[in-house]
Amino acid sequence: MWLPSYATPSERIMRTLVVAFAVSVLLFLIAPLFIIVPLSFSKDPFFTLPVREYSLRWYADFFGNARWMNAIANSAVAAVMTTILATTLGTLAALGISRPDFPARRLIMALLISPMIVPIVIVAVGSYLFFGQFGLTNTRTGLVLAHTALATPFVVITVTATLSTYETNLTRAALSLGAPPSAAFFRVTLPNILPGVISGAIFAFATSFDEVVVALFMTAAEQRTLPVQMFSGIRDQINPTIMAAATLLLALSIILFAMLALLTRRRVK
Amino acid sequence: MNFAQRMSLATDNPVDALVRFEDVKKSYDGINFVVKDLNLDVFRGEFLTMLGPSGSGKTTTLMMLGGFEQPTLGHILLDGKPVERLPPEKRNIGFVFQNYALFPHMTVAENVAFPLRYRGITGAAAKEKVRQALGRVSLDALGDRRPAQLSGGQQQRVALARTLVFEPSLVLMDEPLGALDKQLRERMQIEIKQLQTSLGITMVYVTHDQSEALTMSDRIAVFHDGRIQQLADPKTLYDEPSNRFVASFIGENNTMPCTLLGREGGVAIARMADGTTLKAAGANVSGTGANISVSVRPENISLAGKGVRAGLNRFSGKARDVFFLGDHMRLSVEAFGGQLVTARIPARQARHFALGEDVVLECGISECRLLEA
Amino acid sequence: MTVAEIDRVNIFMAVRRAERPARRAALSLALPLIVFLVVAFVAPILYLLVTAVGNPETREVLPRTLEALQNWDGASTPDEPVYAALAADLKVAKDNSTAALLGKRLNYEISGMRSRVLATARMVEKLDTGPYKEKFLALNQDWGSPETWAIIKRNGGSLTPYYMLTALDLKQAPNGSVERVQGDQAIFLDVLGRTLFVAGLVTLFTLILGYPVAYVLTIAPKAIAGIMMLMVLLPLWTSLLVRTTAWVVLLQSDGIINDVLMALHLTGERVQLIFTRVGTVIAMTHIQLPFTILPIYSVMRSIPTTQLRAARSLGAPPSSAFWRIYAPQTLPGVVAGCLMTFILSLGYYITPALVGGPRDQMVSNFISTYINRDLNWGLAAGLGVVLLVVTLAIYLLFLRLVGADKIKLG
Repeated sequence: MWLPSYATPSERIMRTLVVAFAVSVLLFLIAPLFIIVPLSFSKDPFFTLPVREYSLRWYADFFGNARWMNAIANSAVAAVMTTILATTLGTLAALGISRPDFPARRLIMALLISPMIVPIVIVAVGSYLFFGQFGLTNTRTGLVLAHTALATPFVVITVTATLSTYETNLTRAALSLGAPPSAAFFRVTLPNILPGVISGAIFAFATSFDEVVVALFMTAAEQRTLPVQMFSGIRDQINPTIMAAATLLLALSIILFAMLALLTRRRVK
Repeated sequence: MNFAQRMSLATDNPVDALVRFEDVKKSYDGINFVVKDLNLDVFRGEFLTMLGPSGSGKTTTLMMLGGFEQPTLGHILLDGKPVERLPPEKRNIGFVFQNYALFPHMTVAENVAFPLRYRGITGAAAKEKVRQALGRVSLDALGDRRPAQLSGGQQQRVALARTLVFEPSLVLMDEPLGALDKQLRERMQIEIKQLQTSLGITMVYVTHDQSEALTMSDRIAVFHDGRIQQLADPKTLYDEPSNRFVASFIGENNTMPCTLLGREGGVAIARMADGTTLKAAGANVSGTGANISVSVRPENISLAGKGVRAGLNRFSGKARDVFFLGDHMRLSVEAFGGQLVTARIPARQARHFALGEDVVLECGISECRLLEA
Repeated sequence: MTVAEIDRVNIFMAVRRAERPARRAALSLALPLIVFLVVAFVAPILYLLVTAVGNPETREVLPRTLEALQNWDGASTPDEPVYAALAADLKVAKDNSTAALLGKRLNYEISGMRSRVLATARMVEKLDTGPYKEKFLALNQDWGSPETWAIIKRNGGSLTPYYMLTALDLKQAPNGSVERVQGDQAIFLDVLGRTLFVAGLVTLFTLILGYPVAYVLTIAPKAIAGIMMLMVLLPLWTSLLVRTTAWVVLLQSDGIINDVLMALHLTGERVQLIFTRVGTVIAMTHIQLPFTILPIYSVMRSIPTTQLRAARSLGAPPSSAFWRIYAPQTLPGVVAGCLMTFILSLGYYITPALVGGPRDQMVSNFISTYINRDLNWGLAAGLGVVLLVVTLAIYLLFLRLVGADKIKLG
């Protein structure tokens, strides 16, 4: 495992160093995330450890503030709408792309993936200028449209990956047993690729819920989302209420991540 | 002490043994032993095959010899010197891996030149050796290709050339032909055997394919459950399996439980499940009692002739399954009160059998062998 | 064509015909998303491109002036009809309040033009009849300068290279030749260079830190590797804003990193980390690390262990086996991971905005500034085009070397 049993002594030393290095890098990866948790429970309004006294005052601040609450609601609504739209469009597209007869697959795949690649500011500015022509800036519709474009690649990728292991003969069997195509899809294909579809939906939700830049450009105070509220907060004067918000976002990420992990584990089984 | 160990000790001659396993045990978890108490000599210039089902310990044994696994206990001697502490690169043993392990980022020629670099052979001398090695496996023209551009058989030859180029005295092969189709496999078996003989290499070969083992080997060690069950030349192994596992693993055998009643001269008398008796050659089974069996190969059972002849067992049963296979017919007969016995009838004696028809069969006493457990 | 050739063509056509329904069915499933992306993603980006070269202001506000300038020789001060046309145009502009737009646009190319246009518009509003020329000249001498008129005439076209040139620190002289912008006006190439430099640095650091992690992930026992994988994937899952927030907090002058540095006596006084290049690169490296690790890991995992064993059995010592056999085979993963991180690093906005100082702002931040603060959409779009072209060039390289279908998530 760590070492092949035929390792020489110098190899053993080298390997120990590499493992120690990798472990410190992993700590570097994970530690900053959890630094914010104790800070959000501190009674003091400054960011030092160890925490002198614990309290829930910043959470009370957070939940008692109409602006934060409004931001959460806005984020949730936009994220749910994005998820529904992106999952539907992305799953359909993945079903098409996965067929052997799909024309110009590489080209179209490159197009479908490109929202992941194009710098977010360009999407934001382009949407701001373009949707402005139709009065869609500072509306929820505009935000959801832009977020859906950003989220679809994730759905396409996860569902395509699931379909690559899907046994096409299952659908053929359903058809040969007399099921009409729609029934074959909903009763045979979909249940089998569902883990991939749900993974894609989770990705889409997280994409929209966490997105800042497009939301900065596309929303006014009324549609302001949670990340935008946080961003403005940090920009003006960072305060512990933002730590509380960040901790809650972190918790949400962990929940979504756990859901995803359960899904993929079941798929392996 | 089992038969194999007796064999290896009987030929105890340190000059001839290039490799010696001494009481080697291997466990990965400290509880279960994958290799249990292995004693084995590999002679200079011989082609020794380790044959067995997966999980029998044969590959682990090969890996220990190659230096990729450490014995938990015991010693491995190479040329009389213990090598357990020697890393693989210092053993100078050729190793051909299951999927060849050709380096995909190097050309065929670079692959073959790879071991030369570490033996101080470079430049024109290396080029010449590579040319010779590729010539030996008839791949002269493909030196500039990448492994991925070659067929499976060609990749196999490159792996062979890469191993032979540094002229190791010992070559280990781990199921090297497993990925090839049947025809190609049979051709490569012959080629490998010819190379081994002409170059005088000592070869230790691992396979689970018994026909491959029978074709190529000077001696075969049958592995099962971490132990060598029998170590013998192919003919002995086939004709005189030392236990029930070997009998059923090598070729096909009818194994019929019985009780040993006694002996008449050199011949054992066995009582079958239905009370009838069979005579069998059974020098290797001592004492009397249950938990033994008579084994006889289907090709040694024939339809009974007219008169009763000496030296033959005769028994009867009811026909159950008949398959015609071109050159022969497989006839399964229910005999000895419920035991299925399969006979291989030559095509010229084949006739129609009705299901349930009474059939009388016979087999030579010397071909019936008494086996323990 | 011979009969055989005709046959072959017919068969080819028949095959194409036979495949067509299946191809259509497959395509029709993807069509909704393709159409959606064209409308909600491609169209905005195309609109950005148009904005980068669009030049509506002068054309719309000064139609009469431009017509009058048709016959102008380009070298002398124009005659009265041109001034009369300008006066007429500015009267309309004053009524429509489009004079400010024109002033702002012309001000990009002639400094002081904004106030000059507004003052002139106020003046002509009170004038009923001409002659206008001397009144214009009396108000501002520069109305007699041929350069002013050359630039106005040049901007009569519906397209302008101005924004793109500016985004590349170039400008068009009144006589039309392109020259390099001098001095403190030349900032954008510097910003682009800085963006590429920071992205390159982040890519390098993620490779140095990530490669051993990917390797250890492949050799660790299964249970431990699972936990390690979790430590790589969880940050990837956490909102970029949360991670940036964490770094803002950590890097504060009275923050935790400084506390630790002081406690270890590594430094005598508190180090400025927040709002610096160092802080930006650290935070970006942290955020991008998983993107570099995952492709490398996925390639490493596919390398059979027999490769290293074979190298050793052929006589290679451990280090040689690693560098000559293992490392070259991980190259596809290294290329995929590094290109991915480089591409994503080019577009960073949030992290430089919150962690970096004024000298660490990347192209994205300037684009945002020109949209939100300066309301100079054309220049924002021009910078956007530059960023987009650089990004797409590297994306094409990625597609050539790696392929879009190789992108995996976790």
